[in-house]
Amino acid sequence: MNNFWTTFTHTAGRRLKSKTFIITTSIMALFIISLINLNTILETFSGDGAEDMPAVAVVDQTSEEGQFAEMLESLAAEGSFEYIYYRGDVEEALSDAEENEFTYVLELTGTLDALQAEFYGEGTDFRTGQEVQQDVQRTKETLATSALDLNEQELALIFNPVSFNEKPLSGTGEVRTAETHMQTYWMVYGLVFVIYLIVVTLGTMIATEVATEKSSRVMELIVSSVNPVTQMLGKIMGIGLAGLVNLSVLVLAAFAGSYLSGEDFIRNIFTEVIDYSLIIYALLFIILGYFVYGGVAAMLGALVSRAEEVNQAIQPLIFLAMIAFFVSLYGLNAPDAIFIRVLSYVPFFTPQLLFLRIGMGTVPVWEIAVISALLIISAVLINVIAARIYKGGVLMYGKFSFKKGIKQALKLSKKES
Amino acid sequence: MTLIINNLKKTFDKHKAVDGISLTINKGEMFGMLGANGAGKTTSFRMILGLLDPTEGDVRWKGERITYKRTKLVGYLPEERGLFPKLTVKDQLVYLMKLKGMNKQAIIKEMRFWLDRFGVPEYENKVIEELSKGNQQKIQFIAAVLHKPELLILDEPFSGLDPVNADMLKNAVKDLQERGTTIVFSSHQMSNVEELCEDLIMLKKGKAVLQGNLRTIKRSYDMKNISIKADYDLAFLEDVKGVLKIEPKKDGADVKVENEKAAETIFSRLASKGFVRKFEVEEPSLHDIFIDKAGGSGT
Repeated sequence: MNNFWTTFTHTAGRRLKSKTFIITTSIMALFIISLINLNTILETFSGDGAEDMPAVAVVDQTSEEGQFAEMLESLAAEGSFEYIYYRGDVEEALSDAEENEFTYVLELTGTLDALQAEFYGEGTDFRTGQEVQQDVQRTKETLATSALDLNEQELALIFNPVSFNEKPLSGTGEVRTAETHMQTYWMVYGLVFVIYLIVVTLGTMIATEVATEKSSRVMELIVSSVNPVTQMLGKIMGIGLAGLVNLSVLVLAAFAGSYLSGEDFIRNIFTEVIDYSLIIYALLFIILGYFVYGGVAAMLGALVSRAEEVNQAIQPLIFLAMIAFFVSLYGLNAPDAIFIRVLSYVPFFTPQLLFLRIGMGTVPVWEIAVISALLIISAVLINVIAARIYKGGVLMYGKFSFKKGIKQALKLSKKES
Repeated sequence: MTLIINNLKKTFDKHKAVDGISLTINKGEMFGMLGANGAGKTTSFRMILGLLDPTEGDVRWKGERITYKRTKLVGYLPEERGLFPKLTVKDQLVYLMKLKGMNKQAIIKEMRFWLDRFGVPEYENKVIEELSKGNQQKIQFIAAVLHKPELLILDEPFSGLDPVNADMLKNAVKDLQERGTTIVFSSHQMSNVEELCEDLIMLKKGKAVLQGNLRTIKRSYDMKNISIKADYDLAFLEDVKGVLKIEPKKDGADVKVENEKAAETIFSRLASKGFVRKFEVEEPSLHDIFIDKAGGSGT
């Protein structure tokens, strides 16, 4: 136990104190904070937002004698454009726009019942046209209703929104609205990706660390003092702790960023949108998945002789994680498909797929319990097997080959007396 | 308090790496394990340390196997040297010695003692990969002895060292023995073994070809070297029964003979031939015995 702590603190301490770790974590945290505050930052650089409202020259050639343009001008306060009634023809307006007096030109022709609008402008924002169209539509509706001389009640009759509620079929069921569906979708997507990233990066880290100790030949000295199995677990936990610290810093950065931003919309994401029970599941699966993949990674690291061979050895593991990731991407749209259900029982896929099923669909509690138990059992089993291969592998040098390596390692670690 | 190895065997696939060696090493003894490359020395050490399980036979130290409960009492210098290349000498030793159950203060105190003794106190905060090979080996040696082990296993401790550093390490090893440490070491440098060991075992293809007290072995070894100085050609001695090899010298020859009887024959042949300036029968060097028995190069 003592040696476990020594290995654990040594592994974690070395990572946490290393410049690379501190620098990359800080950069990632800064990146997250700035990403959340992107709007504020952009606004700071582009100056005061209000004065920069793009100007639209409105050439009103309708039968309504300039009523459209005047009405649009009065919209300025609420919209994102400043409409200016241009008393001239389109050609003049366009040449003025070229001299940068206006950003856009809007030409209106026709009558109230057959209104035509031509919008001239350049730029990449596809929303501009939509917004202008909405403004014109609104203006037209206002003019039309006033032409029909409708009273308040009649207006309300037309414009009052429908009250639309979604309810589950059974009393205890749940119904997914488009909004909550999208929220969960993105959250599950994000967390599945996080699980993938953690498994791959930390797995590689474990394998590299083991292989480095082997190639520098310090391994023989270490295993002459500490049981390889203890050492392996100490290493997996140590690197896991470093990973957890990294992750926590990034989560804290996200919180800090959201408070700095001061925007209600972003704060809402943290207080209302995020489903914290999902986060707890994610944490559970990240940890279990880490042990499943970490054990295999340590074993693979122990099978190679040189740090350069780690990438080759760890490839199958990364492929597994990638397959799990891509299957989950598919599963996001079909969480109840049979093969997603079946695959979620496979330990290497469970962390991502079961999490996805919990997030996106409805999984009975008993199934969550059974699959989680399976995952825990296989994590233990995988680590027991990995430890045996690890024990033999750390003393084994030579060219890397999977089949031969595992066979030889098992033989070396065999209790013969 | 002894280390007893009983009919130790290790087979890899069909290859017999160690094939039935038995020996007893008493407390405070310095024991030499000789053998050409691949004779089974490192495999034997790994079995003594419990890193490998024997196919047959067993190793008992103080009556029990060496398990991870007792590795605190054992020091090991592996043949393949290795430390953490990116760690400083201090961090390195602190970690490795914590695994031996020492606390940090004691480790640093002992470390300074050894660095001073090897004349390199300034290396404390240096990163290992910045040190020369020889100096890395000093640190490796410190990592094997810093925790004051009762049993010390040194696999080729002096290979790759210059004479000054080799002497420094040799003296340290001698001091440790005087303090009561049981030391087992392997070497293929015969001079070191002759200088340090009282008892030894010589391995060839996993089997003991020779075993026992160094002086007794030498004395009882039939093969002799005769150093002759004479003014005439000594080539005629080749015909004498029992002559193994003649090495002509400027003013005579060195003759290797099977036994003392052959030496007597040579003596009488020479006497009938003419005047001899020198005739000396010497016991074989360990080098000769090694080549004779292990059949490898004994440099």
